[in-house]
Amino acid sequence: MNKIKSLILSLLISLMFPINVFADKSDDTLVAAFSRELTQLDYHYGTKTEFLILGDMIDSGLFYVNKEDLSYVPDIASDFKIVDDTTIDINLRKNAKFHDGSEVTADDVVYTYNFIVKNEKNRRSKKIKGWLESIEKTGKHSIRFKSKYPYANLFNDLYRIKIRKNGIMGTEGNWNDSAQLNELNGTGPYKVVSFDPGVEVVLVRNDDYYGGPKGMPAIKNVVIRSIPDMGTQQAELMSGGIHWMYNVKKDIGEAMAKTGKADYQLGPSLRVGFLVLDAGGYSGEGNPITKLDVRRAMNHAINRESIAKNLIGGPAKAIHTACNPVVFGCFQDVKKYDYNPDGAKKLLAKAGYPNGFELDLWSYRDKEAAQAMAEDLGKVGIKVNLKHGKLSALNKARKNREIRAYFGTWGSTASPDTATISNIHWRDPAKGDRNLSGDPKVNELMLSAEQTLDVEKRKSLYAQGLKLIADQAYWVPLWSYSEGVLSSKSIDFKLDPDGYPRLWNITWK
Amino acid sequence: MLKFIAGRLIVVLSVGLTLSIVTFFLLNYVIDPAQAIAGEDALFEEIEQIREQYGFDRSITVRYFEWFTGIFQGDLGESYYWNKPVISLLVDRAPETITLALMSVSVTILISIPLGIMAALNPNSLIDRMALGIAVTAQAVPNFWLGLIMILIFALAFPIFPVSGDKTLFHFVLPSIVLGASSVPAVMRLMRTGLLDVINADYIRTARSSGFYGWRLIFNHALRNALLPVVSVLAVQLGNKFGGSVITESVFAINGLGRLALESILGADIPTVQILVFVFAIIFLFFNLLADILNAYLDPRLRL
Amino acid sequence: MIFKTFLKRLFPRSFDEQIYNLTPKELIIRKSSNHGGFKFGLFLLTVIFLFAIFGPVILDVSPYEQDLTKRLLPPVWKEGGTWEYIFGTDGNGRDYFARILYGTRISLTIGFGAACVGMIIGVTLGVCAGYFGGWVDQIVSYLLTCQLALPGLLLAMTIVFLIGPSITVVIFVIGATHWAFFLVVSRSATQKIKNLDYVTAASAIGASKFQIIMKDIIPNTVSQIIVIFTLEVGIAILNEASLSFLGVGIQPPTPSWGLLIAEGKEAIFFQPWLIILPGIALFTLVVSINMLGDGLRDVSDPNNKVSEE
Repeated sequence: MNKIKSLILSLLISLMFPINVFADKSDDTLVAAFSRELTQLDYHYGTKTEFLILGDMIDSGLFYVNKEDLSYVPDIASDFKIVDDTTIDINLRKNAKFHDGSEVTADDVVYTYNFIVKNEKNRRSKKIKGWLESIEKTGKHSIRFKSKYPYANLFNDLYRIKIRKNGIMGTEGNWNDSAQLNELNGTGPYKVVSFDPGVEVVLVRNDDYYGGPKGMPAIKNVVIRSIPDMGTQQAELMSGGIHWMYNVKKDIGEAMAKTGKADYQLGPSLRVGFLVLDAGGYSGEGNPITKLDVRRAMNHAINRESIAKNLIGGPAKAIHTACNPVVFGCFQDVKKYDYNPDGAKKLLAKAGYPNGFELDLWSYRDKEAAQAMAEDLGKVGIKVNLKHGKLSALNKARKNREIRAYFGTWGSTASPDTATISNIHWRDPAKGDRNLSGDPKVNELMLSAEQTLDVEKRKSLYAQGLKLIADQAYWVPLWSYSEGVLSSKSIDFKLDPDGYPRLWNITWK
Repeated sequence: MLKFIAGRLIVVLSVGLTLSIVTFFLLNYVIDPAQAIAGEDALFEEIEQIREQYGFDRSITVRYFEWFTGIFQGDLGESYYWNKPVISLLVDRAPETITLALMSVSVTILISIPLGIMAALNPNSLIDRMALGIAVTAQAVPNFWLGLIMILIFALAFPIFPVSGDKTLFHFVLPSIVLGASSVPAVMRLMRTGLLDVINADYIRTARSSGFYGWRLIFNHALRNALLPVVSVLAVQLGNKFGGSVITESVFAINGLGRLALESILGADIPTVQILVFVFAIIFLFFNLLADILNAYLDPRLRL
Repeated sequence: MIFKTFLKRLFPRSFDEQIYNLTPKELIIRKSSNHGGFKFGLFLLTVIFLFAIFGPVILDVSPYEQDLTKRLLPPVWKEGGTWEYIFGTDGNGRDYFARILYGTRISLTIGFGAACVGMIIGVTLGVCAGYFGGWVDQIVSYLLTCQLALPGLLLAMTIVFLIGPSITVVIFVIGATHWAFFLVVSRSATQKIKNLDYVTAASAIGASKFQIIMKDIIPNTVSQIIVIFTLEVGIAILNEASLSFLGVGIQPPTPSWGLLIAEGKEAIFFQPWLIILPGIALFTLVVSINMLGDGLRDVSDPNNKVSEE
């Protein structure tokens, strides 16, 4: 009945006023769109970037990534002291409060980490259990972490765990996983007003927020809508239904900006693209990819500069390392393969493939770039059958060791350290399926760097590892990506150097 | 009649079950659900955690029987992707799809019945040709394309309708036209030929020759008889609309069962996909059954 | 019952009482010459066929060659368009005209391939069900119910996921989900024919079942099968476009029209020709096939008076 009424009403309204009235500056409401659905509110049960953005708006961790220099700074923590290689003392802010008004104390932090480690159903459990030896309360606002080994990426984990109120997730043996899925008592700059899974989440500014490195938010109300289709998002932006959308490609962004209805920014991103090559022969011994000359030929065959400049645009650049040059530890003085199709052909001939060979190239993202690469490889004689599909299908094939080469990307969202990309990609092949190098040395160098606190020593380990990867051409590092954001003329949004959209910093113009 | 319906119901359920088995094994065979749930930049531990949590490391057969026994205890399973029971997802999403299906069938009726009547009353006239043209066009336009073009014209060039969403019935107008258009050719042709047959039938000719003529005759006798087959075909079309809503709902961002199906497949949310395949099959078969019963009821010759 | 509902949808006229004694050739010659739609469809389809076969050879254009510095050029009738790229270029700087031209081949291959697969499955099952009756008929009916009830799109997506997309896989997947019409028509035709005098006579003089099916039954169903076949080609082409649109059909860089529309979708507001042009190509092809099919249906239906008027 309501629907019929609203139909008649909206018919009448649209007849009288051809342009609909939308939420805007006048009622201090910002509407942002995500292409992926937000299925719940609790970041500990989600893994996608969208959940991280939402998590940062409604929750806080002990640490946070400073947007200016991409360093980790205390958030709910006020200061810290590294006691020894495996011990760190942390003091908490005294003015941090949960959305229900209660104070954040050491008990809450200890409870949160115990919950994370002891309840296996949250998505962070394994990761934290891997290094956390113990956590203890040393005062009302102070705690001590002990780790099992010197753990270099500690602050990233302390940023990703959001603090929960003591007891809110149940008690040991009686955990309540769904306690915070649909409503949330967080500590972040915004509070949840209402949540419709997969449709929208409505937030209101938390006026009791302690500020901290995120700063006080300027806009009172924020609505995040899930709109799966990018075309629909554009249309909504043009007609005033939303103010902000991201992951916008160059062509569309520039065309939208030309209409004068929106601003487009194409800024740097921590995401990189690369080809992983089956040098170890997991997909069949003696396949062409196991030959060094073939892998080097592939490195020479792809015109990365042209693809980065023409297809991706903005600050995107060709890269030569298995990491994004701007993150910590990404040593740059490695062997560089220039674009040289003739050289590539010679190398192929030398390897015994004067007429090239056929190659299944798997990909799941960035179809344009995948096609451009396939065309480049075709020019030197490597006939590519592109297998472009969903990541879950790629992953299955990779698990079954059926993949010879795939086009991967890695986002490193809000974790500016080589450790994030190398941890998953250079693992011991027995424990992970992405390290196809077949070279134990790479695994040793890249992963031991994570268990070293000494900054110079870490850098040197990464340098050796990255040199080896480039020398042996285990990958074809491709390019760094750009992050494109469209925002309406009424808001002021600035992309940060890591491309991570910090929605809570948006202001009205 | 009761025996007939009961027999058909058994067939319907067993078909649904067969399909759920096929879907389950196919999906589990081809995709890694843990990766799909975790997303592209998930850490290794997170993917492993999910794999263990949902027991993806156990054998497919064991998992199927778990699911199967659950069904008999009234437990449709828990969605991996949405972290909630599948049944509550269905309840949440069904109204949008039902609205869309009903509205699109209304669109079909509004376009095809009058066109069919006018075409039949004036065979080989301009109207008849136009109706044929509309039918041929509607049959050849892919509905994802029609959807995009509709948005381009009626939401942007002339902003009459909203671009996307499902907040009010107004939002359903464009999607209903897109989804309804695909049934227009079949229904219109049936209406036209059916009416032509009746008009040319002896009793109508007799009536005409004995002085009855014009609209009243058409409405009272001819139309009533010609509409009977149309009604049952409309029932079948209504059943089709549920499975057919996948693309339309995605293009217009309507939060119904069709979009849920697509998202669940892409998100490898196997419990949801399975139930949806089952539900779509049952709905389709139910409306076919309904059409059969209607046929039998309306056409005494078929009533055995 | 499910057969009947289906038949009614396909052939609203009292189809099942007809038995054809004319060969399809005689039928077509007799009636097609004064059926406008049929002639137009045939003409259009012939033109498209010629284009698909000879166009790429004569015009010497490549649908794959990319020039990343010439991306998204507008077609010639738009501001900034050139005659070098009549339909402009796509996001990878490839000649859009060449891609649409090649797309015709893909669509035709898949349309005819899938209809053939569907025909083989459907006619085999239909003839068996109609000829043997009894439990064979029941099993076939169950299979048909399963196939009809399964949302085809979902099945196709899963299978394409499973085997990995390629033209052959797509042909078989579409064929495997589109045999219902063939089955229903060949089944009812077989039922009618098998009780005719000459068939019972053949059986009496000791002809094997296989011989009867091949010699007496199949040839007599041909004219109806051809009608269905034509219509199924159109349906298969649309289906391939939908699958490719959803990203589970033909793989890039192969220029399938559905894929072209999907790739142009994000730019719908700024480069609308990217979806309008392949859409028109798709529409033209399917319309021509459908007109041909409708024409065939009319001319092969002895009861049809309207088309002769």
